[in-house]
Amino acid sequence: MNSLGLAFAVFGAVCAALFAGIGSAKGVGLVGEAAAGVVSVDPSKFSKVLILQLLPGTQGLYGLLTAILMMSRIGIIGSGAADLTLTQGLMFFAAALPIAIVGLFSGIAQGRAAAAGVGITAKKPDQNGKGIIMAAMVETYAILALLVSILLIYNIQL
Amino acid sequence: MTTEYASAVAAVRAMESSLLVQSDIERMTAAGSIEEISDILVSCSRSAVSDKDKLITALETELDQVWSFLHDYAPNHKTLEILLYRNNFHNLKATLKALIMNTDAKRLFIRPSTLDLDALPEIVASKQYDVLPVYMRETAQEAYGILTRTLDGQLTDAVIDRAALEAMQNEANRLKSGFMQKYAQLTTVCADIQTAYRCSQMQKSESFLETAICGSPELDKNSLIREALKGTDALLSWLEGTSYNEAAELISSSSAQFEKWCDDALIALAEEAKLKAFGIEPLAAYYIAKEMEIKNLRILIVCKSCGTSRETIIERMRRLYV
Repeated sequence: MNSLGLAFAVFGAVCAALFAGIGSAKGVGLVGEAAAGVVSVDPSKFSKVLILQLLPGTQGLYGLLTAILMMSRIGIIGSGAADLTLTQGLMFFAAALPIAIVGLFSGIAQGRAAAAGVGITAKKPDQNGKGIIMAAMVETYAILALLVSILLIYNIQL
Repeated sequence: MTTEYASAVAAVRAMESSLLVQSDIERMTAAGSIEEISDILVSCSRSAVSDKDKLITALETELDQVWSFLHDYAPNHKTLEILLYRNNFHNLKATLKALIMNTDAKRLFIRPSTLDLDALPEIVASKQYDVLPVYMRETAQEAYGILTRTLDGQLTDAVIDRAALEAMQNEANRLKSGFMQKYAQLTTVCADIQTAYRCSQMQKSESFLETAICGSPELDKNSLIREALKGTDALLSWLEGTSYNEAAELISSSSAQFEKWCDDALIALAEEAKLKAFGIEPLAAYYIAKEMEIKNLRILIVCKSCGTSRETIIERMRRLYV
């Protein structure tokens, strides 16, 4: 039964990295498509659209961070795997869900917002900052989810 | 998925920044010669051409290039092709007329077109209608039959024009494209009002009106025909009770003003796409905007070469998208 607890905790870490990573990949890909469209017409706008393309990439990093912290906490990285009960394992799994789910959806949503921002940059390059701010607003929710995940990971009693 | 258009929309947004703005048009309106207009166009990153005819040809080529670009970029160009249905049907009309009059159709063609314009005269002459797009086959056959049987160019034009409008509406409905449905309906309404007004002036028969008027959810075909048969006054007073009262007022005073109203209404429709970050709308809107820009330049060039007054030119200028 104890190994099932560890399995749930590892599955949680996998979910955090996997879903947040998918969200980022989709978001960055979408902005990349939009950015390529602009650069094909006006290559001088490359640096401006690149900033927008980077924005949805953070969710993937948050997922990676959560997964590493979790693996470190349960001893997969370092001192050796901890002997987790099923309840503890489920708690670790639940701790990973905020960043996994919010990371997935916010990555895609931020990608859409940033791709729309690419349109602003294309038409009015001087208004580029506004496009970045609007896309960055989505980031708030990924950060909140990351915060909840980290707080939970560090406050589960072993 | 609308995000399929992310790349195309972003490219279009970049190209929109090179569309002519009001101040460019004002400078060209104030210009004293074609050469001056050409200089202004060069300052707006256009190619340097100072001859009137070459300038018009260069503008046509520009629209052709814009179409190729949009066509290549659009993931679903079937929807976008609705914008060229009228050009395609016009080219069919030109081919049929040239065939009957034994002249060269190529100088009458409108570009861009999705048809193979080099092969079109041969296709029509040899009645290979199955080579044409599906939406044109039946019309081509019918129009050829009418023209060869009756030599009635007006009736043939009416059949082809109505078929073009029907094809646009049918395809837009089939593809469930809201923007294209609105575009097709607006184009149909403008064409129908003009046809109904002219027919009522010329006291055309009911059967001719049946052939010429397409109808749309905006303006019912039977009502238009009924009012047109009563005469121009009845038609105009009926139109005044619809949402096209402004158009009714203009068509009775000046057909040029009515045409400008129709073009401005199209640009107003295109402006809705400014709020869209994804989808086909910005692409279609850019094409409409470019088409209108070229129409404005053509009016400017022709008016300047005829010595038309600045006030008249300003009056004829279409609304700008930017």
